[in-house]
Amino acid sequence: MKLRLNLTLWYRTMYSRAWVRVRSTYGEPLWVAVNLAVPLLSSLAMALLYSSTGLSKFAGFAILGGVMLAFWGNVLWSMASQFNWDKEVGIFEIYLISPAPISAVLVGMSLGGILATVPSAALVTIIGWFFFPTPINPSWTVVLLTFVLTLASLYALGMLLSSLYLAYGREAESLNNAIGEAINLLSGLYFPAIGAGSPFPFAVQIVASLIPLTIGMDALRKAVFQTGNVSSVWFDLALLAVMAMVLLFLGDKALKALEERGRRQGTLVVRLK
Amino acid sequence: MTTTVQARGVARSFHSKTSDVTALDGVDLDVDECEVFGVLGPNGAGKTTLIRILSTLLLPTSGHATILGFDVAKEVDKIRPIINMASGAERAGYEFISARGNLWFFSQLYGASKEDFEARVKSLSSRLELEKYIDKKVYELSTGYRQRMTIARAFINDPRVVFMDEPTIALDVMTARKIREFLVGEAKESKRTIFLATHNMAETEAICDRVAIIDRGRILVCETPENLKRIYGRPAHVVEIRPSPPSMSIFTSLPGIKGATSTLDEERGVATVKLVVEDEDAINRVNMALSNAGIRVLSSWRQEPTLEEVFVSLVGRGFAEREHEIAS
Repeated sequence: MKLRLNLTLWYRTMYSRAWVRVRSTYGEPLWVAVNLAVPLLSSLAMALLYSSTGLSKFAGFAILGGVMLAFWGNVLWSMASQFNWDKEVGIFEIYLISPAPISAVLVGMSLGGILATVPSAALVTIIGWFFFPTPINPSWTVVLLTFVLTLASLYALGMLLSSLYLAYGREAESLNNAIGEAINLLSGLYFPAIGAGSPFPFAVQIVASLIPLTIGMDALRKAVFQTGNVSSVWFDLALLAVMAMVLLFLGDKALKALEERGRRQGTLVVRLK
Repeated sequence: MTTTVQARGVARSFHSKTSDVTALDGVDLDVDECEVFGVLGPNGAGKTTLIRILSTLLLPTSGHATILGFDVAKEVDKIRPIINMASGAERAGYEFISARGNLWFFSQLYGASKEDFEARVKSLSSRLELEKYIDKKVYELSTGYRQRMTIARAFINDPRVVFMDEPTIALDVMTARKIREFLVGEAKESKRTIFLATHNMAETEAICDRVAIIDRGRILVCETPENLKRIYGRPAHVVEIRPSPPSMSIFTSLPGIKGATSTLDEERGVATVKLVVEDEDAINRVNMALSNAGIRVLSSWRQEPTLEEVFVSLVGRGFAEREHEIAS
């Protein structure tokens, strides 16, 4: 009975937070325009760069990067910064004094973000492939599996980063922004960051491999543009699954530990007046 | 009568690299069901810290507090479903979502069913006169209606104890009155405890069954407003003077003066000083001191004691002077 009540609470919290995220995203026309335009323009710019240097067969990498940038930027990364926004305006303490599990709030934010990002990703795909048609050889099942595992591991990373806001304020936001740019570069959204064709030295590739987005992008490129069967990406999928599990475990532990630390040190809420 | 909120020796200090601040210093309290309980003190006295501890957001450095018998430090899972909180300073909700949508979202944090939510929102919006605005987006609402929504949000889970931190701050008279009537009704009719932190003395007198006066993290007294005025309050001698005196010590250094507080009308250059005096002789001494200082008395009158005089009697200064001291 208690388990059922807990599951109901978890589901209702997650669903309602996703609903809030979707409604808020479409509540302001300017945000809709920005969400649609930024990934589209940056991927078109990268695709143009590839085309103008005689590498038009790689333009598809830029389109795929634009699709994933939409998810990475709007879905998962902003999960942490939205957590901070909630804290700044006093809504975060309403979550905390309720019985709602914080993990359900975060999953809801994330799922809402995914739903809100689908139009942007679709726009990048359609317009990108219209202007830069690139031969693809996908197995859609493998693509879907890779996509889901990539998002799961990115969600877990977002959850871990969100936990920092329980104990820190502006410091966490600065850290978030600083490592966000580094991840954008190292993960190779628009180019292969690891393996053959990577511009990075081997040591940097090792560091880049620790980022789930790097592995996810590498696997997606293989699944969409290359052989399209599971044997070419099984190692990446296994790695993504392990990363997702480890990061989820760490995120859950960090949320609990840092909430307790926040209660001890008085950093859970900011004074609004 | 069930005791809903209990605190024993609750203390809280904050440490930073540059300073240590004691926000609460050994607070003892017992608050009952159906009670509107006020904690009255100037900004920085420790009211918000106390609410944060009781609402499980902050751990006490020492001492012990319970909500309906559950320990605020160790039994948060049992406390959180039965409490709620609202602040006059918080954002009402998500701007691009209607008041109803926001209330539905916050009800889901407590796992409310559709039927329960519909019944609660109908009752709350009716009692807070929010029905006409319930389907408007939050950014379309005036400050008063946003605050009504915030108050409705704090009751959406049918809580046993509700913490209110300055709930009527910066509101117009009508909205503030409506919210106060609502809070009293919720305490008496629905058997809730309303724990109100405020520095609004008129509000405290109007709705609180009992009041704890807090200063520098300590509860100085805890009584009904009537008893506080009867036991600690003395009629105030009020003088309107020009120019404003350079320091309040011109009054407080005189024998027979229990305390003083002043407000300044900068446009007119007139200071209104409230003095809690022990006898008529003290008034004569005040007039003499003002005359010697070249300060003109424009008018003077006697005022029956309010909670402000109680605070001045106990602390020797008014809220404004104490807030200035704390800030500096």
